[in-house]
Amino acid sequence: MQTVIYAARKIITMVPNRPEASHVAVRDGRVLAVGSLEEVAGWAESGQAGSERAGSERAETGSGDFRLDESFADKVLLPGFVEGHAHMMAGGVWQFTYVGFEDRISPEGVLWGGLKDIEAVTSRLRQIESELEPDAPLIAWGFDPIFLTAHRLNRFDLDQVTMDRPIAVIHSNFHLMTVNSMALEMAQYDRNTNVMGVDRGEDGEPTGELQEMAAMFPVMRRLKIDIRSLARTEGGIRAYGKVCHRSGVTTATDLINDLPLEDVELMASITGEESYPARLVPVLNAHTAPAEEIAAQALALREKSTDKLRLGSIKIITDGSIQGFTARMRWPGYYKGPDHGIWNIPPEQLMTTVETLNAAGVHMHIHVNGDESSEVAIEALARALRKNPNPDHRHVLQHCQLADAAQFRKIRNLGLCVNLFANHIFYFGDKHYELTVGPERAERIDACATALSEGVPLAIHSDAPVTPMGPLFTAWCAVNRVTPSGRVLGAAERISVEDALRAVTLGPAYTLHLDHEVGSIEVGKKADFVVLEDDPLSVDPMALKDIGVWGTVLAGRLQPVS
Amino acid sequence: MSSGDQRLPLTVITGYLGAGKTTLVNHLLRHADGRRIMVLVNDFGDIAIDADLIESQEGDTLILANGCICCSMGGDLFYALSDALDRQPRPDHLLIEASGVADPTRISEIARAEPELRLDGTIALLDALGFAGLVDDAQIGSSVVRQIAAADLIVVSKSDLQSPDALSELKVQVAALAPTARQIEASFGRVPLEVLLGSLSSAEVDEIPQGCANRDHAGHDHAHHDHTEDHEDLYSRWSLSRDCIFGQQALAEVLKDLPAGLLRLKGFVKLDGRWALVQAVGGRVEIESLPRVPDHIKHTTLVAIGLKGQMDTAELDRLFSR
Ligand SMILES: [Zn+2]
Ligand SMILES: [Zn+2]
Ligand SMILES: [Zn+2]
Ligand SMILES: [Zn+2]
Repeated sequence: MQTVIYAARKIITMVPNRPEASHVAVRDGRVLAVGSLEEVAGWAESGQAGSERAGSERAETGSGDFRLDESFADKVLLPGFVEGHAHMMAGGVWQFTYVGFEDRISPEGVLWGGLKDIEAVTSRLRQIESELEPDAPLIAWGFDPIFLTAHRLNRFDLDQVTMDRPIAVIHSNFHLMTVNSMALEMAQYDRNTNVMGVDRGEDGEPTGELQEMAAMFPVMRRLKIDIRSLARTEGGIRAYGKVCHRSGVTTATDLINDLPLEDVELMASITGEESYPARLVPVLNAHTAPAEEIAAQALALREKSTDKLRLGSIKIITDGSIQGFTARMRWPGYYKGPDHGIWNIPPEQLMTTVETLNAAGVHMHIHVNGDESSEVAIEALARALRKNPNPDHRHVLQHCQLADAAQFRKIRNLGLCVNLFANHIFYFGDKHYELTVGPERAERIDACATALSEGVPLAIHSDAPVTPMGPLFTAWCAVNRVTPSGRVLGAAERISVEDALRAVTLGPAYTLHLDHEVGSIEVGKKADFVVLEDDPLSVDPMALKDIGVWGTVLAGRLQPVS
Repeated sequence: MSSGDQRLPLTVITGYLGAGKTTLVNHLLRHADGRRIMVLVNDFGDIAIDADLIESQEGDTLILANGCICCSMGGDLFYALSDALDRQPRPDHLLIEASGVADPTRISEIARAEPELRLDGTIALLDALGFAGLVDDAQIGSSVVRQIAAADLIVVSKSDLQSPDALSELKVQVAALAPTARQIEASFGRVPLEVLLGSLSSAEVDEIPQGCANRDHAGHDHAHHDHTEDHEDLYSRWSLSRDCIFGQQALAEVLKDLPAGLLRLKGFVKLDGRWALVQAVGGRVEIESLPRVPDHIKHTTLVAIGLKGQMDTAELDRLFSR
């Protein structure tokens, strides 16, 4: 097999001995050497001797089976980004019309401009409406009322788009939607409806805004808004690959999936194609069966792993969300607003479930948002590990947004990892400061600096599609901690660009037990790179999110975005 | 019930771990009385159905010999409920055994929102021995309180193991959390089906003697009971079939004054020129207009079940003869 030496403006490796380099040699889809041209070229002779000599394309600029590739001469290479917490539906959701505030690029490469007011939203909907089949509902997603403050989107706005077909605009958090009059009619919602979450105006009529599952259920059912299938179809899996690719991600999780066998087979076959642009790590939903069965299922899945599809981990969800007031909070609870803190699993049952799974050697991702749920999860893991010491377990607390320094110390002592929700600082930080948890605790939300200074293995994530996938943006959030109002939320929790880049590469790779294969540019590891248009270490940290992604390299295969 | 009401009745069963939900569900499935009940289980999918009831298993779904089915809902309420509604043939009754910490209103509100579902009631179980400790628990107290407050009927299990004093103290505490709910003591989940599930089966409607003012429990066929029942002694029944027409307002007034020991009341009430379906569970009353009633219903027909000695049947007679 041929060896290619890539020359780059800079290669950021995540390896302490040579954190930066100018050349990387790739053979058999793996990193053969990193360093200067002379250093990596030293492999030429041994390479010729050891290679299969099957390569027919001999480059003009190379000798033997070596080829020097200068296409990245003005680009910056990093290890391919690893998204440690996102969801497959981030791809399939694009079958709906995007109506968010920020510019977004669809998996197909179409730029969807951000919509800055409600008129812009309705005019996009009108345009899409005119192209729809006669009987199809109009479904949109990504709408974020936080940014459109003139008035609350309502059914009258949507009725201006059409009265003749149902419209549902799903908000960016997926917990709310706004629908038009026809959709209300289909759900049989009117002034006599008295259902929690069906918002009503001063005149007593429904406004069109539906909050939470109960209120949304009849509309979702009648409009056939099938969120689950977004992640289960061939189209959904392919679209997710494209979302990852565009954001420079070469390894991505799907952080909760029921993983029926036919879905696993579909994913294995699609990811098995050479052109599928990312490695996938789907994580088994532990809520579908008793712990013993889940353990057996996870271990069986592990055996089904392929080069680009890694299986065997599970996820448990313990509580709700902070912005929804459903996260479990310790004293003194929520700042303003009612405490709707819910457990998704009784703490008692979490103890036994975690114990069973840990004893079976199953790697766990545990969703904890509030600081009471992180406390309970830490305790469950402490007991489980005391009973069945499990060296190198790397169980991960996912989100772990409100952990304090003492919790991080326990987390370190137990050998746990955290994957903090850095994007949340930008998207919800102001709300947390003003409403949910108050100024002091808002400043310690997603406390990356504390995690690092206490020695906790750190990853940061987007939770796409809840917030957009984009590791450079995620890193930007952790580095700057700026909110839309311009506030710096917890200046002492800001981390360096170097640390943030590690938290989107080697950090998450470690949380997935994949750090021996991906996450750094180092001899022997997969040749998975992200190719950037500029150097994240030399741009203004506030410009980090604006660096262009040329594309990726996966196992040595060049994958330009356009 | 062939009243033209095609909605799928939904009952939510809630209660912390160990309160006896599984026992209650098993008892209910054993005495399904011909109803095809579908049970959705949310407690990490552990469907602990008595083995002798199970006929076969299809994937995650248990098929019972009496036509009932059980499956795990895997934490996804939306799909579990959609699948239940789309199931052919549609079950007669849907029962959700919520997780030990679930907020039952998140489930029951879906039944109130969805036109094809009808909320039949929320039943909370509590363990007479453990309850006081749970309420004070910093981590789960609020969940347990929420379950009790959301309930129409509260089944107190292990009451025979608790001292009378502690038990009456418990009842006061529970009543403060759920002032309109009715409390029932029961061991081993032995609560009659017609208390747990409100929908009138056609057999029940047939049993009501048309034209006679009231009766005691005529005793439907209990030959299927394979264990000694004690519940018949604890409950009393009342029924009414009378050729009279209620005013809408008068009916609402009457239903406000239902006696304390009444657990469920249901039936058809003739209004001026139309019919109403009346269903009361605990202190919650629903009156709905009906387009039509089953053919053999000729006039106002009601049945009630309540706690023996606490449901004043004379009071009920008086109320409905006003
Ligand atoms: Zn989560
Ligand atoms: Zn997530
Ligand atoms: Zn009976
Ligand atoms: Zn029985």
